Amino acid sequence: MFKILNATGGYGKTTIIRDISLEVKAGEIVALLGRNGVGKSTVMRYAAGLIPAMAGHAEIEGIPMPNSPAKRAKMGLGYVPQGRFVFPRMTVIENIAVAAASNGYNPKNTVEELMEDFPILVPKANELAGGLSGGQQQVLALARALATRPKILLLDEPTEGVQPSIIDEMSGVLKRINKENNIAILVAEQDLDFCLSIATRAYVMDKGEVHMEIDRDSLRANKTLQKELLGV
Amino acid sequence: MELDYLATILLSSLSSASILLIAAMGLAVVFGLMGVINLAHSEFLMIGAYAALTVTKAGVPYILSIPIAVMITMSIGAIVEMLIVRRLYGRLFDTMLATWGLSMFFMQLVVVIFGTSTVSVATIPQFNVSIGEYSLDGYRLLMILVAALMFLFVYLLMTKTVYGMKARASIQQPEMAQAIGIDSNRVNTLTFSIGCGLAGFAGAILLPLVPATPTMGLAFAVKSFLAVVVAGPVALTGTVLTTLGLGGGSSITASFLSSVIGEVFFFLITALLLWLYPCGISAKWRRKL
Repeated sequence: MFKILNATGGYGKTTIIRDISLEVKAGEIVALLGRNGVGKSTVMRYAAGLIPAMAGHAEIEGIPMPNSPAKRAKMGLGYVPQGRFVFPRMTVIENIAVAAASNGYNPKNTVEELMEDFPILVPKANELAGGLSGGQQQVLALARALATRPKILLLDEPTEGVQPSIIDEMSGVLKRINKENNIAILVAEQDLDFCLSIATRAYVMDKGEVHMEIDRDSLRANKTLQKELLGV
Repeated sequence: MELDYLATILLSSLSSASILLIAAMGLAVVFGLMGVINLAHSEFLMIGAYAALTVTKAGVPYILSIPIAVMITMSIGAIVEMLIVRRLYGRLFDTMLATWGLSMFFMQLVVVIFGTSTVSVATIPQFNVSIGEYSLDGYRLLMILVAALMFLFVYLLMTKTVYGMKARASIQQPEMAQAIGIDSNRVNTLTFSIGCGLAGFAGAILLPLVPATPTMGLAFAVKSFLAVVVAGPVALTGTVLTTLGLGGGSSITASFLSSVIGEVFFFLITALLLWLYPCGISAKWRRKL
């Protein structure tokens, strides 16, 4: 359903990821694992169209995606960046509404639906997003991405700096939207437990390349690899 | 009688501040929502004044010449954004240089078309309001109301409409705005065009007070620029405050002492504020706009 094919990219003249190919099938949750600095975020930014492709491309349902990030969003790619990047001087409602409206969906209905999915945002609805806690901002960034009604959701380090209770809530919501709305998910993570709780398959990255593909059970059994990923 | 004198000074200073706010509003919008300093802003004001003047001389009622001036400056603004400003995003100094060049081009263009002399319009409303034994220009006082309505219009446009949300999202997190499907190019063209339209509105509405000349923009350029820079990232509310404080304050000082000291007040306080708040007074405000 969603594919990255032979992706090579980086910043300026520096190549960070080399010849990355991966696939997320319809309705699947896939993890992208690897230690700090192996290029997970760069793969995500490549897929979202935020860095130019030196080679390769990304595609949804067999259709290659155009260069413009805005057009990719309209094709069904939802992106939650590492560090959240909510719109700080806009209210929680506005953050969600602008995402819905930009893709031709009714902002009011979308906000109502997402507030039901994320009750944690309800008491903060009219507050500026910049004043929320890290965990609340993470949930908002997720809600904002969902407001674009994506087919594939890219999550970059969604658990970073988020308290455990919210992480549990997030994994519950992700599993549910994955099932109910049939949204495929690619999640880049350091938190192995979180990944093992939602993803059924993983790609392991090292030094800018995908160095293995592994399913959940093999990863659970492979303690050496786990230790390597945790960087111990 | 003393009270009359004070009221007169306060009202006339408030209207001076309002006039500055009217002139600076478009600049604040473009800076606050695009991060671009448009140094040709005051020339758009001048173009608005000439547009209003020309159509009024052709027999159109003055009040109708204002929307015409807005439409003309908005169209020129959109073209300028697409041809020049778009190529320079994120390069603050390059944009300033390019728009400065543009301002000289516009100024000379107007000299070539209309000449350097001033033509006044007879059909423009003139009336006086008296407070005790003092008399104030009614049209000048009306500018207080105009500035308030103009601010309200821009505030509602930017906070209550989908376009306004897109524009604010685009300046606050440019990459994420694109990643959730906002076509930043279109939003920016519209924002720049609205900023120029506001300048055109200012030129037209101020025509009875500031006659159209090719260099009329210069009178506003420096002070509006400083007001917007001191205001900082929450540009709109910030600019209301700085125009009131700096413009009003310098006008009050000028009434009690001399106009030179009024100017000195403006620039000293500006320097002091920029020293205390290098990123603008609103850098840490939690406000929408």
